[in-house]
Amino acid sequence: MSLTSILFTVFFYLAVSLCLVGVTLKVIQYASTPVPLKIPTAPAPLTKFGVILRMMREVFLFSSLFKASKWTWLFGWLFHWALVLLFIRHLPYFWPGETPEILRQTESLRYAAFPLIFGLSGLLARRFFVDRVRYISAPSDYLLLILLILIALTGALMTFAQFYPDMGKVYAFAEGLITFDWSELPSGGIFLAHIFMVFVLIAIFPISKILHAPGVFFSPTLNQVDDARKKRHISDWAFDKEKNSKGG
Amino acid sequence: MEKFDTPKLETYLKTPALKSDVMTGSGPFKANADMQKSLGFPGKKVDNWQQVAIEKMGETISKYRSLPVFLDACVKCGACADKCHYFLGTGDPKNMPVARQDLFRSVYRRHFTFAGKYFPKLVGAKEFDESMLDDWYNYFHQCSECRRCSVYCPYGIDTAEITMAAREVMNAIGVGQKYCNQILGKVKKIGNNLGMPEPALRDTLLDLEEEIEEDTGVAVKLPLDHQGAEILLITPSADFFAEPHIDGLIGYAKVFHQSGDSWTLSSYASEGANFGMFIGNYDIMREGALRIRKAALDLGVKRIIVGECGHAWRVAYSFWNTLTGIGDGATDEYALQLQNQLNQNYPQPQHIIEYTYDLIQKGRLTFDKSKNDHRTVTFHDSCNVARGSNMGGIENGQFILPREVIKAACNHFVDMSEGTIKASTFCCGGGGGLLTDDLLELRVKGALPRMQALKQSEEKGGVNTLAALCAICKSQFSKVLPYYDFDPFMVVSVHQLVSEALVLDGENSQQESKAL
Amino acid sequence: MAAILGAEVDEEGYLLNIGDWSKEIALAMAAEDEIELTPEHWEVINFLKEYFEEYDFAPAVRVLTKAIAKRLGNDKGNSRYLYSLFPYGPAKQGCRFAGLPKPTGCV
Repeated sequence: MSLTSILFTVFFYLAVSLCLVGVTLKVIQYASTPVPLKIPTAPAPLTKFGVILRMMREVFLFSSLFKASKWTWLFGWLFHWALVLLFIRHLPYFWPGETPEILRQTESLRYAAFPLIFGLSGLLARRFFVDRVRYISAPSDYLLLILLILIALTGALMTFAQFYPDMGKVYAFAEGLITFDWSELPSGGIFLAHIFMVFVLIAIFPISKILHAPGVFFSPTLNQVDDARKKRHISDWAFDKEKNSKGG
Repeated sequence: MEKFDTPKLETYLKTPALKSDVMTGSGPFKANADMQKSLGFPGKKVDNWQQVAIEKMGETISKYRSLPVFLDACVKCGACADKCHYFLGTGDPKNMPVARQDLFRSVYRRHFTFAGKYFPKLVGAKEFDESMLDDWYNYFHQCSECRRCSVYCPYGIDTAEITMAAREVMNAIGVGQKYCNQILGKVKKIGNNLGMPEPALRDTLLDLEEEIEEDTGVAVKLPLDHQGAEILLITPSADFFAEPHIDGLIGYAKVFHQSGDSWTLSSYASEGANFGMFIGNYDIMREGALRIRKAALDLGVKRIIVGECGHAWRVAYSFWNTLTGIGDGATDEYALQLQNQLNQNYPQPQHIIEYTYDLIQKGRLTFDKSKNDHRTVTFHDSCNVARGSNMGGIENGQFILPREVIKAACNHFVDMSEGTIKASTFCCGGGGGLLTDDLLELRVKGALPRMQALKQSEEKGGVNTLAALCAICKSQFSKVLPYYDFDPFMVVSVHQLVSEALVLDGENSQQESKAL
Repeated sequence: MAAILGAEVDEEGYLLNIGDWSKEIALAMAAEDEIELTPEHWEVINFLKEYFEEYDFAPAVRVLTKAIAKRLGNDKGNSRYLYSLFPYGPAKQGCRFAGLPKPTGCV
């Protein structure tokens, strides 16, 4: 195997390990940090079922963002859903052995690249042109969008502008990463740039704001049932305090 | 008195252009050494304050899940940026909720995250230095913890949680706010925010009884420390002291009188407000709640009802069960005793609005709505009620019940425009420990969005009465309305409207002849 | 610490020691606020002081208005009138002129 292939292979495992370990640690931190008080925000569901519905509305429809800003919602929602579709579109590359029929039907999902680029560009434009958003943006906020846009652009170039890498090699390389049966990378700067940036994105997941993905599920304002009068809610540290003090 | 320009009311609410640092300054008055020490905080800024602050930040982050989640999850999308009334009223970018959070987040990143430790410039991580502390003190006292931002955030990030944590950290290093901490000291010593001693309270209540009897010919009582009463009423002490609050208190008394349920106030727990929440201190908040538990136990009451106070209701509804075990699940002996003593056929605690609403539903109150015919009423949803509690145990009950009570007592009711009421309600501008004269400019400017909506309802709906159910809202509106050319006396308690229209059994006919 | 006519006041202009109060101080405070003290103002200030002496606390606004109604007539026993005397609020401004501590809380 060429040095480039070895480096990319190593980088892939490194990135995925960093991501998995980092996100796991973060999730453990969130899960193990107590929630001492009931703080659901309006409109607060009164039942567990209501909380599930609320979470689904937030995660699938971005309902709060829709209330807040229609443009941000449009750009953000398109970008996220396009990303999901393109993720599915990439699954066949990694599928070991015979690709299942359903995954072979995903060809047309490649057009999701356009809403992806549109959404991301809209979000980036907001950072430049809306004074409020410009004020709150750190360099990392721009860079992350630029990284995503470049990933999308390199992908789109390969798909729509005929800069195909050797597809046989792509399948072999990607499948090899999953089956630990490593193989040579195809040549082509655009392809290498594409996967390099994707690996970077995976690696920085747990140390960046992409943590909003697991974070939203732990958000107490969204995931709590509004039933404080009916059911006592108490954290361990508060309970210890109670046991050790003379109330009354 | 510092001079400032009151913002102009336009035809609709505009998002202001950024005016950097326009609200910069030294913040509200600081608590003196006595006030700090009475709450167990250092008397003055400790020498190694940075170290203590970072340690305290670490502690709060490990105790409140909201903090690490909110601090990590923000993607700076800007959804909240134009939702804060203080930003809308001032244009200061640090009053955008996300920018306010970032004062905390930048220090968090510097000290608690990988990216901030090694690439501070890249991710906007900052050191906790003097100028950062100044910004903290200033801008975390320009947040009324109203939670409006949390409603629009895709992750539910609640700036109030960050503000509370920041105030907790500042108190831990000896930098506290005078208004909140002085008041908390008085609650500890005397039992209420005013510092009103029992004889003055007793005298005031007797005075009110006299007044009601003169007005109506009916001997409506306002009992204090009445052992064995059915109901303990916990209300903000402003109801004993201020206008228009006191007419609300008269309203509660009349409703209790009509219902026939015996009730009492407590001189030991003569405060519904709980500023422990404003400064984010669990222990102080719990102490306040335990005072009420003790009063309930000592008086042997069966029900606890909370008067018109926004954050008091949030604390009572959402936190009392946690803090004191008033409902169920607690194990300590006093909580168990209380649970046995209270009538668990009713939710505990209940809001006075829930109580009055129930009586109306059962047809036990008679109203002469024409008494309020000179009014066209609109209702201000108080932020802590709207976004931190519920009423009636039904979805959105906290929006429905107060309006139903008002409509039962008034013929003319008009809501302000959507987007400024219910879950999206704008803070009055004085909540969260900011109702102090040294923050008057902020209060006036922060009231802008509410005043804008009020103006519209005045022009379109002929509104001349603004009903509220929070002591802070009532005081704040009384103060700021004249700045926007409204009559300060247009603010009323919801239960003042009830009081004016409620027909008491045996009410003298003199009253009616006067009305004719 | 700031002072007025030699008497210490807090940052909001309220006397630290009620014993320091004198008519001159009340006049000086009123002058600061550009208010000329009329006999009606003095009725309020005197009632505040008397009440405080008895209860160690300022009277509730309603108690004050009723007392003023008795002293100055029913037409003046309302908070609208009191606000016309003390535009910054009868409780706060009145207490300051009377040398009493500032009422705190949600008022």
